Amino acid sequence: MIQLLRDTIRYRELIWALALKELKVRYKRSVLGFLWALLNPALLMLVLTAVFSSIMKFPIPHYAVFLLCVLLPWTFFSQAVAYGAEAIVGNGDLIKKVSLPKAVFPMAALVSNLINLLLSMIPLALLVPVLRHPFYATWLYLPVPMLALAIFTLGAIFFFAAANVYYRDVSHILQVVLSAWFYITPIIFPLDMIPQQYRWIFKLNPLIYVVNGFRLAVYYGQLPHLRSIAASFVCAFLMLFIGYYLFRKYQNDFVFYV
Amino acid sequence: MERKPAIHVDNVTQRFRVIHERPDTVRELFARFLRHNASFHDFDAVKNVSLEIGNGQMVGLIGRNGSGKSTLLKIIAGVYRPTSGKVRVSGTLAPLIELGAGFHPELTGRENILINGLLLGYSKREMMEREASIIEFAEIGEFIDAPVKQYSSGMYTRLAFAVATEVDPDILLLDEILAVGDAPFKQKCLTRIETFRERGKTIVYVTHDMQQIRNYCDRAVLLDKGEIMAEGEPEEVIRAYMTLWSPEAVAAAHTLSSAPV
Repeated sequence: MIQLLRDTIRYRELIWALALKELKVRYKRSVLGFLWALLNPALLMLVLTAVFSSIMKFPIPHYAVFLLCVLLPWTFFSQAVAYGAEAIVGNGDLIKKVSLPKAVFPMAALVSNLINLLLSMIPLALLVPVLRHPFYATWLYLPVPMLALAIFTLGAIFFFAAANVYYRDVSHILQVVLSAWFYITPIIFPLDMIPQQYRWIFKLNPLIYVVNGFRLAVYYGQLPHLRSIAASFVCAFLMLFIGYYLFRKYQNDFVFYV
Repeated sequence: MERKPAIHVDNVTQRFRVIHERPDTVRELFARFLRHNASFHDFDAVKNVSLEIGNGQMVGLIGRNGSGKSTLLKIIAGVYRPTSGKVRVSGTLAPLIELGAGFHPELTGRENILINGLLLGYSKREMMEREASIIEFAEIGEFIDAPVKQYSSGMYTRLAFAVATEVDPDILLLDEILAVGDAPFKQKCLTRIETFRERGKTIVYVTHDMQQIRNYCDRAVLLDKGEIMAEGEPEEVIRAYMTLWSPEAVAAAHTLSSAPV
């Protein structure tokens, strides 16, 4: 773990450059370029707001805010993991030619998606007053769940990126896993809408604490309990330990399989 | 003053697993589960190689295709961790193993210079300082702000060579990179390699061009089937290399090299 920190500091410029490269390549050849990082969530919000305020009415006021404040972090998580699972395989050419700590590639995948998440929070911040939802001071708390989510995501990326080197099936399975995961995370509905007997499934989900933190801060204007915050970080570091342990154990062999 | 050798390779073996069938993973998984009966064989690309390259030496690696030259270079570069044995490298190292490793086709030459430099372990500031001279040496001109996918293979080589040499490493690993590029640029590269040598840098050079080995290398190493067959004066090693060939092949090579190009 200390090694990871050391590599991150030593290779921070490279990680940053690789992350920017990813974003540049993603938006290259589009007229609006980087603007898409803002425009995408903004348009999604428009659609969701239109659907949920006129067509499908939920008994939840300002449903778009309710939904988006956790949908955006979720999108970050699922995209970062789906994309990060390719971090080693996709950079095989490089890994075969330059000696580098392999961890820089998952890190870069995390950072590029993190930039996207931060950008997508801007349209959300604009949407909140438009929908006349109160703009709470608890927004200031958001860096905390974001940090926990980033740590958890990095762990998941390490895990899947390493597994994907040996079994390319992983990236296919991952899509199914992520969409199932979406439904056992209280994103489109609040947890208390779930019948009591099924609630334990949700409670097993390590992301529930983070999601809760985002929603409380943006939608309810509250801060989570200390215990919930602690739980979110425990889950995050556990995931990072598992993922990084596996990654480290096999990283020297990656070059033979990519 | 005796310094540590720049590169020290101690009894290194690199074993590869060759999987005969494309790894359809589920099958392989089962096969591995049932017995160790998966369809693969192991082979040693580099076998018990020990080599010491002193500071400021220029060593040519020669051998037939598949003799393990590139593998050895990659082991020295730290890309492969050898199956057994040890490698010690003292000093900064720039591998030029394959052209433009790490060049992203969609990014411009300028963007790629930065990323390539960072990949080699240099800082952004160092790369910014060298950018102008890299561009000048590579003779890329206004193409520097175009995506490298639009570059000709010559431009690609030139830029890659310029980046790897301009960062001023202590050790330079070159793998047949001068095959591409026109004669004037080749000459320019060789001149630069020469200056490198004069400044006491260590160079490991893989090539099939025996003339270059004769002209530039202090020492040559002949690899065959992953093992060192001969080592020493370039001329002697080249002679040993020729004996690996059948008489007909030698004759053919002579006709080729004497034929007007």
